[in-house]
Amino acid sequence: MSEQQSVPRPSGPSGGPREGRPSGPGGGGPPRRGKRQYFRKKKVCRFCVEKVDFIDYKKVEMLQPFVQERGKILPRRMTGTCSKHQRWLGVAVKRARNIALLPFATEL
Amino acid sequence: MEDRLYDLIFICMPTTPEEEITKIVGTLEQTASEHGGKVEKVEKWGTRKMAYRVAKQREGFYVYLALHSKQGDLIKELERRLKVSDAVIKYMTVRLDEEIKRQQKLVAHREHRARRRPRKTAPSPVAGPGPGPAPAPEQAPAS
Repeated sequence: MSEQQSVPRPSGPSGGPREGRPSGPGGGGPPRRGKRQYFRKKKVCRFCVEKVDFIDYKKVEMLQPFVQERGKILPRRMTGTCSKHQRWLGVAVKRARNIALLPFATEL
Repeated sequence: MEDRLYDLIFICMPTTPEEEITKIVGTLEQTASEHGGKVEKVEKWGTRKMAYRVAKQREGFYVYLALHSKQGDLIKELERRLKVSDAVIKYMTVRLDEEIKRQQKLVAHREHRARRRPRKTAPSPVAGPGPGPAPAPEQAPAS
């Protein structure tokens, strides 16, 4: 925010920053923003990209990125998985848990 | 009844000798054929670490079977045998034919769409092959 104040303001003590405003619209120009805008890259469902039709519960290394270290299934908002594939993924993870390929919760 | 596809995974004690596991698989195959089923594939994954302790063991010998069956009684019998067996500490059967059917439907649907698409963009053939080859080399991790 301190950067914004360093913008040249020659009008001095007369009326504060508001004074320069009325003459502004003539010159036009977009409003200057102090903050940089962030453009978050849109997450794409990894399974859709690879065109996966069936998520195999036996491929642990495929499921692992979607599971937290403690064994929780990561939410869609973190991984960007689409609703359809998240549903299949949930089933696959639960099957893998059943046969001790993935943990329900890590011990200790 | 229609033909059903199952996955059967069981885990043996890590101390079980190899020949005993082969014997268990043999009896399972025999029971399957007696009940009008067929074991399609047997894979011994070997001893691997389990995600949690089962029967006070941290490791287990995984065996995977894929089988066809026309009647559910076969699964009941197979699971009973696995339960009785001392070496087996955990087993799971999953019925997969419905999911495979769904998968085939999706593949067919996509192929149908792919076939239809070039006709739509026929006047401008440049747009057709453009996005095509990009996702091709993605299928590397198959193991």
